[in-house]
Amino acid sequence: MSAQRQRIILVSVLLVLTLVSAIWSLSVGAVKVPVDVILNTLFNLDGDQQRYIILRSRLPRVVLALLCGGALALSGAIIQAVIRNPLASPGIIGINSGAALFAVLLVSLMPNLPPVWMPVAACLGGLSAAGIVMLVAHFRTLSPAHLALIGVAVGLVFEAGVDYLLVTSSDAERSAPLIWLTGSLWGRTWDHVSISLAPLLCLAALAMALTYRLDLLSLGDASATGLGIRVPALRLALLAVATGLASVSVAVVGVMGFIGLMSPHIARRLVGGSHRWLLPTSMLTGMLLVSLADGVGRAIAPPIEVSAGILAALLGAPFFVYIMLTTASEQDR
Amino acid sequence: MPRVLRYVLLAAALLLAALWSLTLGQRDDVSLANILTLLWVDDGSLARSAVVDLRLPRTLVALLVGANLALAGLALQAVTRNPLASESILGINQGAALGIALAVVLPIFHAIPLDAMAIAGAALAGLLTFAIAGGLGGRLDSIRLILAGVAVGAFSYACVRFTYTLDDDLSRLVITWVSADISSMQAGQVAPLAVWTAIGVVSSVLLAHGFNVLALGDGASQGLGIDPRRVRFLGAGLAAVLTGASVAVAGPVMFVGLVVPHLCRFWFGQNHRALVPAVALGGASLLVLADAASKLIRFPYETPLGVVCALIGAPYFLYATLTARRLA
Repeated sequence: MSAQRQRIILVSVLLVLTLVSAIWSLSVGAVKVPVDVILNTLFNLDGDQQRYIILRSRLPRVVLALLCGGALALSGAIIQAVIRNPLASPGIIGINSGAALFAVLLVSLMPNLPPVWMPVAACLGGLSAAGIVMLVAHFRTLSPAHLALIGVAVGLVFEAGVDYLLVTSSDAERSAPLIWLTGSLWGRTWDHVSISLAPLLCLAALAMALTYRLDLLSLGDASATGLGIRVPALRLALLAVATGLASVSVAVVGVMGFIGLMSPHIARRLVGGSHRWLLPTSMLTGMLLVSLADGVGRAIAPPIEVSAGILAALLGAPFFVYIMLTTASEQDR
Repeated sequence: MPRVLRYVLLAAALLLAALWSLTLGQRDDVSLANILTLLWVDDGSLARSAVVDLRLPRTLVALLVGANLALAGLALQAVTRNPLASESILGINQGAALGIALAVVLPIFHAIPLDAMAIAGAALAGLLTFAIAGGLGGRLDSIRLILAGVAVGAFSYACVRFTYTLDDDLSRLVITWVSADISSMQAGQVAPLAVWTAIGVVSSVLLAHGFNVLALGDGASQGLGIDPRRVRFLGAGLAAVLTGASVAVAGPVMFVGLVVPHLCRFWFGQNHRALVPAVALGGASLLVLADAASKLIRFPYETPLGVVCALIGAPYFLYATLTARRLA
């Protein structure tokens, strides 16, 4: 079997898995809805209570899980390629914390602003955090691990700001951002889908359009320049796209760490390093991971929900350690 | 300047900071002018009771926690030979927080005292971090150590954050506690903490020689008849106990253990025997000042101590990361 066919099969299996997990995720929760009823509801639109639960409460969650999981994974894949660092991800270089700080800031300073502005504020925050990290990296040559540390430091600064805002805000507005910060899909509606859909699709399309250049970039700066690529400009553009993808998803579903780190690594094992395959596969992997995490979080102990972000961190932190152990030795010396 | 004079100056600064912090609060009949009479003479006034019953325990807790965390940071930096090591970076603080959160949430752990849960959490998190970094085998990789600490810390904090989503009352309890709010400390909490601080200072003095030798490298310390592994084990254990005991009372106060030993090294040099008292005094002063700031920032509201420390400490961590040469 050729490598091409193998990849096609792998990607289709992933696609089917994602769909199955999405439909399964529609069926679990405080009220159990059998799968045949779901299919019936989705395609024939009849029934009453079930229909309400599925269409109004669970479907937007699942759609958001797919959107944001895909966006985070895509963002992680681009960042890992651009700064050539296997430990990099939107969370590690501080984008998540920056986006979270600006989103919380917007909510506490201007609570009456329409929610459309949330993604904009989050993008500004993500860009400022990524900007600081890249500025530092620009002036000093840094090892990958060192860069990750600076990202962690910048993230901690922004997180301190988030804590300050949360703790000093009045009690009534406190618990909503708390749940949001744990990376939860709880209480998400079609409004959240509508404010994030357009920017995410545009950014994802932009990322797909740049895949060929991403491949050239991975040959090294000198070869890429020789092939007629303006490396600094391309790098900046790619990082901006990646930051946008991660920030918009933070604005709607909160901080979901480690998805952007794990998905590209899993995808690379499946289809290899060519970005034409890597980017879509990472995206699918991210979708699968987040929709599974959300479904599992609801299935563990209904009616209590475990945030998808918490499950992602519980899975992701050991994964991070694994990646660190397998890569640190070759890059440190 | 002779070293003794420097200690005296630091102690005087601590005393002044503590007295100043005691005058801050809602009442305006307490000032630097009459604070000493209020402390020593029981005139039965409301001002006296506000100072002695409400403010004094809180200031003392800040003082003791500051000393404990700074000593823990010093021990960790010596043990790992890494200038960025501290209990919050290595995940020990977050491990202690997880221990407490489990004790609050799960009924099985209600019988165990909070100190024990926090110390167990701190020790486990520290052990895990060291294990991942390869410390159990003897040789520590400094970058790995910190990245491992970050991962262990993130893991523990994700578990703590999970409790936010459980139940409104429970989540409020956990978040005031996680943000290190020490505004309602009681006199009974001071004495046990003071015992831990005393143990910490004495053990640090005893270990100081070992730390000095460890700084020369493993080979040299073996040559000088000191087992580097034993010093490492004792130092890391001391750090876990001091952090756990402090976190159990005041919540996870971040970055004190990073900032204070750094600043003290500028003034007292690299000798750990000289550093131990300086770091204890310095940590106490810093936290007393941070506590005073937490009363002032949004007067008349309180800003939790943990948030003040994070706002000071996080930028300092960034600075330390950028200037650390011995890292990679």
